[in-house]
Amino acid sequence: MTEQVDGIVCPSCQQLNLPGTLFCLQCGTYLPSGGPLRTEQFPDQHLQRAKPRSGDDAQAEQQVLGVEVEILRTHRKVLLSADSEILVGRLDAAHRVFPELDLTSDSGLEHGISRRHARLYTREGKWYIEDLDSTNGTYVNDERLTAYLPYSFDDGDTLTLGTLRLRVNLHVDARESRPW
Amino acid sequence: MKAKATISAEEDYYAVLGLPSSTTPEEVKRAYRDLARQHHPDVSGGDAETFRKVQEAYEVLHDPVLRQAYDRQRVARGLGREVPLECALTLSAAQLVALDTPQMLYALLDLHPRVPDLKQRLPLNLALVIDRSTSMQGPRIGNVKLAVSNLLEVLLEHDRLAIIAFSDHAEVVAESTPVREIARLRAAVASLTTGGGTEILQGLRAGLEQVRRFADKGTNAHVVVLTDGRTYGDEEACLLEAKHAQSEAIGISTLGIGDDWNDLFLDALARHGGGVCQYISSPAQLQELLLEHIRDLSHVSVNRLTLNVNLPPWVQLQGVFRAAPFMEALGVMPGRAFSLGQVGQESLSLLLELVVHQPDAGERRVARLDFEGIAGEDPITIRRDVNVQFVAEAAGPVEAPGRLLNTLSRLSIFRLQERAWQALERGDVKQATHLLESAATRLFEIGHRELGQVALVEAERVQRGVEPTSRGRKQVRYGTRGLTRG
Repeated sequence: MTEQVDGIVCPSCQQLNLPGTLFCLQCGTYLPSGGPLRTEQFPDQHLQRAKPRSGDDAQAEQQVLGVEVEILRTHRKVLLSADSEILVGRLDAAHRVFPELDLTSDSGLEHGISRRHARLYTREGKWYIEDLDSTNGTYVNDERLTAYLPYSFDDGDTLTLGTLRLRVNLHVDARESRPW
Repeated sequence: MKAKATISAEEDYYAVLGLPSSTTPEEVKRAYRDLARQHHPDVSGGDAETFRKVQEAYEVLHDPVLRQAYDRQRVARGLGREVPLECALTLSAAQLVALDTPQMLYALLDLHPRVPDLKQRLPLNLALVIDRSTSMQGPRIGNVKLAVSNLLEVLLEHDRLAIIAFSDHAEVVAESTPVREIARLRAAVASLTTGGGTEILQGLRAGLEQVRRFADKGTNAHVVVLTDGRTYGDEEACLLEAKHAQSEAIGISTLGIGDDWNDLFLDALARHGGGVCQYISSPAQLQELLLEHIRDLSHVSVNRLTLNVNLPPWVQLQGVFRAAPFMEALGVMPGRAFSLGQVGQESLSLLLELVVHQPDAGERRVARLDFEGIAGEDPITIRRDVNVQFVAEAAGPVEAPGRLLNTLSRLSIFRLQERAWQALERGDVKQATHLLESAATRLFEIGHRELGQVALVEAERVQRGVEPTSRGRKQVRYGTRGLTRG
């Protein structure tokens, strides 16, 4: 007998369940993972922290149309509109998480992607990424971001979410890639 | 290379390993390991001859094919009578950390019937109690007639059938008749007409009386009630009749047609009668379900099955549920025999929630489960001990077995919606809405989109303060209880 365990607090409804309970008595949430599939934390995270960057130089005048994200592992390319902010994560209907960029099919869980991992948005012609306090962090060109602090990124930058690497392409020809 | 084990005629391998013949592969493995360690010739006090026997027993019993062959030989030699139920036990954890505080342990019991020989099945002694009230007029009664006519085709000559029609009173349309006199039964079915109200008690009594006349150990006696309406004022008396019937080994099942019948009452009636309640949402379903139901009855492997759960003082029984063939909360009390009714073709699965409060390490018996029942004409007993190793420290994260998780996830949906209706009964609209929404979410999660949608629609109605639709409620209740099926 080493430690005192009072129980498992359900992440969905805060009900206190006995240790060993598998499904919350109150709301039916699967408890060992806190939800259908919880993001597991990777053991080591000792990459350098990124310094906040704000873009006031080169491409500021450019009209930002959208961003093309290439998931390097699967070579899947997703074109996302700049009209509204883009949530990146893993879809979980049960918790009403519907990311614009859903990385489930890119082995998101295995790569430590949280359900609500990061968000992308544009301000005055610049793209920003903000980590949403994800379990395994977000990196711009291998520098770790501080949660909830927006960082700007440029064309060709590599965004790493957990261990999944994405390349962004900002020079998107609107006519060609937005057929609708 | 592994030599194929041979089956020796003299040894009782179960006795060698000290196990009952209903034992599981896991137990075989465990017993083998313990005995092998004890008797290994290299160990002091070891004995090569015993060791060889243990090894031989293990080689036969851990191989499903060899074990089956051996079981047959064993029965033929009169060493063991074939228990018609195989009992498998799955725990959420085989090892628990000894804790100063209570913790939860789930035990899933699967009772698999060994398929009985069709020709040897017990003759059926059936009564169909058919609602002929005005609401049954038209296609409903037409479908009932058709379904019963088709049923006659699949019954065997030595089966008996009585047909009772009821409205405000009961009429014995056909007294209990052997199915070989099929013409008489056909004529009776054809003569069914509609009219009047719905009063189940009279019909039920008449049906039971018919079945009682020919009830003996060598038959499978069952009353099937078909109704589309609500009965008023006689519910308690009906349940009492069902309890009596159960004590005489007469089963009762209920089939609810359409959306207007009282699901809680028909559920209770079937539960007291040790049978099943089924929801027939479309006329076409009636034929299929009635046939399926009778087929199940003719494959009953164990009758009057009871369960007695015995627990040490440091274990509490939080809940017992039937998980398959359909889900249901069972009011099992420790130390008292609880009637489970019949086991048909399909496996019976039970889920036990045990709250365990054990601060000391060591191997302990958490529960003892005693089943009793009648197979054919012989009484059978099955005893299963739930043993758990309590350890001082966790060896690492333990994944609960997939089948258990699967069953539990479905059971939790079933419970969410059952609690929703109970909350609604209490007038707790907020809670009922929340529970129904949770059930809907979980249904979506496991891919039952249609059923989830129905639950969501009912949740919205409830939230607006509108009564749930009778159809939606039945779809959700009977849909979720069948989630563990197939």
